[in-house]
Amino acid sequence: MSAAISTNGAPRDADSVPRVPIVPVKGPPRAPPQLAAEGIAKSFGSLVVLEDVSLTLPPGTFHALLGENGAGKSTLVKCIMGYQPADAGRILIDGAPVKIESTRAAQAHGIGMVYQHFTLVPNMTVAENLVMARADVPLVIDWNKEREGLRAFMAGMPFQIDPSRVVRSLAAGERQKLEILKQLYLGNRILILDEPTSVLTPSEADEVLGMLRAMAHAREISILMITHKFREVTSFADEVTVLRRGRVAGQGLVKDLTTADMASMMVGGEVPRASSSRAELELGDVRLSLHDIRAVDDRGIGVLDGISLQVKAGEIVGIAGVSGNGQDELLEVIAGQRELAGGEMRVNGVRYTATREETRTAKMRCLPEEPLRNACVSNMSVSENIGFRGYDRPPFTLWGWLVRRDALRRHAAECVSAFKIKTPSVDTAMARLSGGNVQRSVLARELQGEPRVLVVANPCFGLDFAAVAFIRTRLLEARNSGVAVLLISADLDEIFALSDRILVISGGRMVYETPIASAEVATIGKHMAGHG
Amino acid sequence: MNRAAAEAVLIRAGALLASMALFGAFVALAGADPFDVFYQMYRGSFGTSFSVQNTLLRAAPLMLTALCTAIPARLGLMVIGGEGAMVIGGLASITCGLACGAMPPWFVTVAMAVAGIAAGGAWVGFSGALRAYRGVNETISTLLFNYIAIALLSYFVEGPMRDPTSLNKPSTRAIPAEDMLQSIPGLEVHWGLVFGLVACVIAHVLMMRSVFGFGAAIAGGNLRAGMLCGLPVRRMMIIAAVLGGGAAGLAGMAEVAAVHGRANASLVTGYGYTGILVSFMAQHEPLAIIPVALLFGGIGASNGLLQRVDHLPDATVAVLQGILFVVILASETLYGRFAIFRPREERVVRSAVRGPTPEAI
Amino acid sequence: MMSAIDPVADVTGIGVWGVPLAVASGAVRIGTPFLFVSLGECLTEKSGRVNLGLEGTLVMGAMSAYAISYYSGSAWLGVLVAGLVGSVLGALHGWLCSLPRVNDVAIGIALISLGTGLAFFLGKPFIQPSATKLPAIDLGFWSSSPEVRSALQINALFVVGLLLAPAIAFLLARTRWGLVLRTVGESSDAARSMGYRVNTVRAIATTCGGFLAGVAGSFLSLFYPGSWNERLSSGQGLMAVALVIFAQWNPVRCLWAALLFGASSALGPALQSVGVSSGYQLFNAVPYVLTLGIMIATSSASRRLPGQPAELTVAR
Repeated sequence: MSAAISTNGAPRDADSVPRVPIVPVKGPPRAPPQLAAEGIAKSFGSLVVLEDVSLTLPPGTFHALLGENGAGKSTLVKCIMGYQPADAGRILIDGAPVKIESTRAAQAHGIGMVYQHFTLVPNMTVAENLVMARADVPLVIDWNKEREGLRAFMAGMPFQIDPSRVVRSLAAGERQKLEILKQLYLGNRILILDEPTSVLTPSEADEVLGMLRAMAHAREISILMITHKFREVTSFADEVTVLRRGRVAGQGLVKDLTTADMASMMVGGEVPRASSSRAELELGDVRLSLHDIRAVDDRGIGVLDGISLQVKAGEIVGIAGVSGNGQDELLEVIAGQRELAGGEMRVNGVRYTATREETRTAKMRCLPEEPLRNACVSNMSVSENIGFRGYDRPPFTLWGWLVRRDALRRHAAECVSAFKIKTPSVDTAMARLSGGNVQRSVLARELQGEPRVLVVANPCFGLDFAAVAFIRTRLLEARNSGVAVLLISADLDEIFALSDRILVISGGRMVYETPIASAEVATIGKHMAGHG
Repeated sequence: MNRAAAEAVLIRAGALLASMALFGAFVALAGADPFDVFYQMYRGSFGTSFSVQNTLLRAAPLMLTALCTAIPARLGLMVIGGEGAMVIGGLASITCGLACGAMPPWFVTVAMAVAGIAAGGAWVGFSGALRAYRGVNETISTLLFNYIAIALLSYFVEGPMRDPTSLNKPSTRAIPAEDMLQSIPGLEVHWGLVFGLVACVIAHVLMMRSVFGFGAAIAGGNLRAGMLCGLPVRRMMIIAAVLGGGAAGLAGMAEVAAVHGRANASLVTGYGYTGILVSFMAQHEPLAIIPVALLFGGIGASNGLLQRVDHLPDATVAVLQGILFVVILASETLYGRFAIFRPREERVVRSAVRGPTPEAI
Repeated sequence: MMSAIDPVADVTGIGVWGVPLAVASGAVRIGTPFLFVSLGECLTEKSGRVNLGLEGTLVMGAMSAYAISYYSGSAWLGVLVAGLVGSVLGALHGWLCSLPRVNDVAIGIALISLGTGLAFFLGKPFIQPSATKLPAIDLGFWSSSPEVRSALQINALFVVGLLLAPAIAFLLARTRWGLVLRTVGESSDAARSMGYRVNTVRAIATTCGGFLAGVAGSFLSLFYPGSWNERLSSGQGLMAVALVIFAQWNPVRCLWAALLFGASSALGPALQSVGVSSGYQLFNAVPYVLTLGIMIATSSASRRLPGQPAELTVAR
C-alpha cells in the first residue's frame, strides 16, 4: 500500500527516457491514421444526447474533449468505439467512411480506449490481462513464449510494469499506466482516454500525459482525451473540442483559447460558483477526534495504519490523496460500515462506535461518495430515503413503534423544495433520480436536525457545475454555522476551494498537514505520492 | 389498488397461467387429458366442502413455513430452512407435551406452542447468527440444517424417545387425546389455520408498518446504507431469522399437536420446501402469503384425485410446483417493462433517465 | 434393539478393520459423485454465477441414466444421456439468469424443485426394474478376502474424475477458454470491454457444470448405491457448493475435498455394518455437520474468501 504511486521509483522525466519506436503486435510501425467523426447524432427516447457533432484527429495530435457532465462526451466516444450506434453521421479513417459496430471492430482500425473505470481484472496477472485483451489469443497458451514477447514489448515502452505481478497489487497510478500499455500492446495507434488522470497525483499526471504527448508528437500515436481539467488541456493538448448539451460549443487550437473562454463555452455563459464565502470564525472545541485508527480491507490487508486527526467546530478539514490510499476505508470506519481493527473514535469527547443512538446524540452525519450505492436503498422511495435518520422517532412514529409514512412524506416534500430536488414525486423510487438529485436528497437527509459533525467524501464527483456550486455552498454554510466538517476528496481543486486545513493521506497514514494559507499544490502533490 | 400492486398481481397471475399451460402440455405428453386434470385439480382443492377443508389444512402450515423465508428475506437473507425448523419445532413440542403430563389441556397446548416456536426460532436463528458474525452463507447453512434436523428426528424417534409399541413406524409416545389441538368450531380444520393467519397479519404489521420493519427494509435493501444509519444490522438479521424459524417451528407444533399426536417420520412433510415457493410467489409480503398459501394448499389437496382419477404419479404436484417456481422467478424480469403500470408523471421522466444510463460503462 | 442392524457393505468378516476399509472405499465410492458435482459447480462459479440447482440436476441425471440404461442395456449411454439432461437444466439456469432482475440463487432453488419433481414423475416406472450397471475395475484381485475385494471395486468414472480435475485446472490456467471464463468471473466490466459476451460465457459454463452434475447423478443410480429411488440423493448437489468454497475454487483441491466428504458420509454405514446399533442416525449427519463446520471455519464476516471469483455473490 505504501508503494502507492510510482512504477519504477521516482517519476521519470519523459524526455530523458530513450525513445524507442513502438513495435505493435501486428503490422509495421507507421503514423497513426487520421480519425474523423462527421455529424454524429444520438438520442435516447426523447432525450437528445448528441446533435451534429464533428471533430477531426490528424495523425500525431493530442486532442482534448471538454464538457460538463451530461454534455455528451462519453456518448460521443462510445459511438466512435462502436459501443452504441450513432443515429446519424459517420466515422472516417484516413478519409474513408468505416462501419464500427463493436470494440473489436474499433480495435481492428487501431482505435483503443482507456476507460475511467478500470477494465483490468484485479485477480489476474499483468501478463494474463494483456494477453487476454488480444483478439488472437491462442487456444492453448504457451506462457513462456508470451512472457518473452511481453518482456520485449515492455522494453520498448516509456514505462514498464512487471508482467508477473497480480493487478490487485498495483497502485492506482500503475493500473492507469497498464491500461495505456494495454492499448499500445494491442497495436492501437489512436488512443481515447476518459479522464485518465483522476487517480493520479499531479506529478504522475504530468508524467503520463507528458509521455503521451511526446509519443503523439513523434507521430507514433494520436490522442483524444476526455477531461474537465483546464490545466491538462492548456499544458498538454494541441486542439480542443468543447461540448455543451450535445452540441459543439467551441473548437480550435488550445493556444488560441483562454481557460475563461473554455469555461464559458462549457456552461454557455456565466460559470456558477459557490455563493457562500468562508466567514472568519473562532474555532470551537474539538468535535471529531480519531486516535490511531487502524482497519483492514476485504482481504484482511491493513489499509489504515494509525490515523489520528481532529476536527474542530467551524472548520473544514480536507483530506487530500490519490484514491486508493485508505480514503474509502476511513470513511467507512467513521460511517460504521467497516470494523475498527484498532484505535478509537471520539465525537464531542465521547467514545463513538457509530451505533444509531450515538449518531443521534452526537448529531454526526455522513455523506459518502456514490450515495446511491453507499447511503440509499434504490428501490425505496425518495421520502423513505430522506427519512432514514429520523423514522424511528416522533413525529414520524405512532405509539413509539409504528412508522407514520404520511409524516415522512410531508417532511420529504419540504426537503424537496428546500434542496431543489428534481423528482416526479416523493414516492418515486430513489433509483429513478439522476445522480445530482440523489446527492441532493442525501444531503437534505444528512443536514436535517442541525448536525454538529459532517463527514463528506467526493461530494461533487460526476456532477455538473450548478450542482457542484449548490453542494459546496451548503457545505460552506454548514461550516459557517459551526459544524465540524471532514472533507475527503480526490479532487485537489475541491480541497483547496473548501478546506481551512489540509491533511494528506498516503498508504493509509496521514503524512502531511498544513493550514490553507500556507498550502502549496506542489508540496501536497509530493506528499500524495509518498515522497514526503 | 395502486399501479405497482396491480403490476405485481398481474405479472404473478400471468406467470400462473403460463405455468398451468406448460403443466397442461406436460401432462398431455404423459398421456393424460389436461382439461380433465385441471377439472380434477379444481374438484380436489375447492370443489367440495371436504376438499376445501383439506385445502385449508394444508394451507395452514404453508403460511407458517412461508414466513420462515419471507421475514428474513426482508433483511436480504435467503433462508430455505423451513423444513428443518418445522421438524425441530415438532420434536421440541412433543417433548414438552409429553413432559407436561397431567397439566390442563390449554396449558399443554400453550407450552407446546412455545416450545415449538422457541426451538424453531433457535434453529434458524443459529444460521442467522452464523451469517451475521461469521459470514456463513445462510442459504447453504439452513439447507444443511434441514438434513441435520431430519437425522436428529430419526435418532430420537428410533432411539431415546421411541415408543416400544410402535413397530412398523418408529414413533414417540403420543400425547393424550384431550391435549390435542382441537378443530375450529364449525369446521373440520384445526386451530393451526388460525395460527397461520394471525402469524401472517402480525408479520405484516411488523415488517411493513413498524419501526423494526422499516429498519429491516433499509438494511435488506442496502446493507451499507443500514450500517451508515447506525442500525444494529447483525442483531436484526438474527431477530428476523429467529422470527422466521419460530413461525416454522409453530407449524411443526401444529402438525404434532393436531394431526399425528406424536412425532415420527411423518413430520418430514415437504411443507418447508413448498413454503419457500409460497414466499417467493408472494414476493415475501406476509399478507400476500395467505392467498398464495391457499392456492398451494389447494394444489397439494388435489394430488389424491390426480392419482386416482387421472392415474398420474404422486410427483405430479411436485412437477407443477417446480414449473411454477421457475416461471414465477423468471417473470421477475417483466417488472417495469410495461409502461401502463408506471405512474403517469414518471413515464416522461423515465425516458429521460434512461438517456444518461449508457454513460456508465 | 440389535434387530435394527442393517448392514450396508458387508465387511464384518474382517472385524474392526472393516471400519477404516469401508471408510476408505466409501471415500472413493461416495466421493465420486461429490467430485463430479463439485467440478461442475467449480466451473460454473469460476464464471461468476452460482447454480444451487445442481441438486435437482443430480437427481434428474440419476433417473435418466437409469432409464436409458434399462432400455438400451448400455450403462455408458445412460451416463452420456444423464450428462446431456444435466446440460439442458444447466442451460436453462444460464438462460434464465441472463434475464435482467433474475437472481441466480433463487433460480437455483427453483431448479432443485423442478429437477426433483420431474425426476420423480418420470422415474416412477423405473423404481422396480433392474438396469445394467456400470462395470467396476477390480483392484482387489490380489486378495483372497471377499470383503477386501468388494471394497476395492473402483469405478471407471472415478478414474475419469481423477483425470478431469487436473484437466480442468489446466483449462483454467493455460487456455483461451479458461482465461475468458475467469475474466468473466472476476470482472464482467473488464470482460465486456474486451468484447466478450458475459451472459453467454456464463450460460456455457453453467451448461458444462450441469453436464458434470448429470454424470454425477448417473454414478448414483448406476454404480453406488446402484438403484433408482426417490431417496437417492441426499443433498450432494448443495454440499458441492460448500465443498467448492472449501476447495478455494481450485479443481485439484476439489478432488481431495470430495474424498474427504465421501469418507465422512461412509462413516455412518460403516459403523452400522460392524454392529453399532444406536446413534448411527447421528453419524449419518456427519457430512452435513462437517460441511457446516468447514463453512464456519473458512468464512469470515468481513473478508472475502481466498480464491473467490470477484463476481460471485453466494460466498460473500
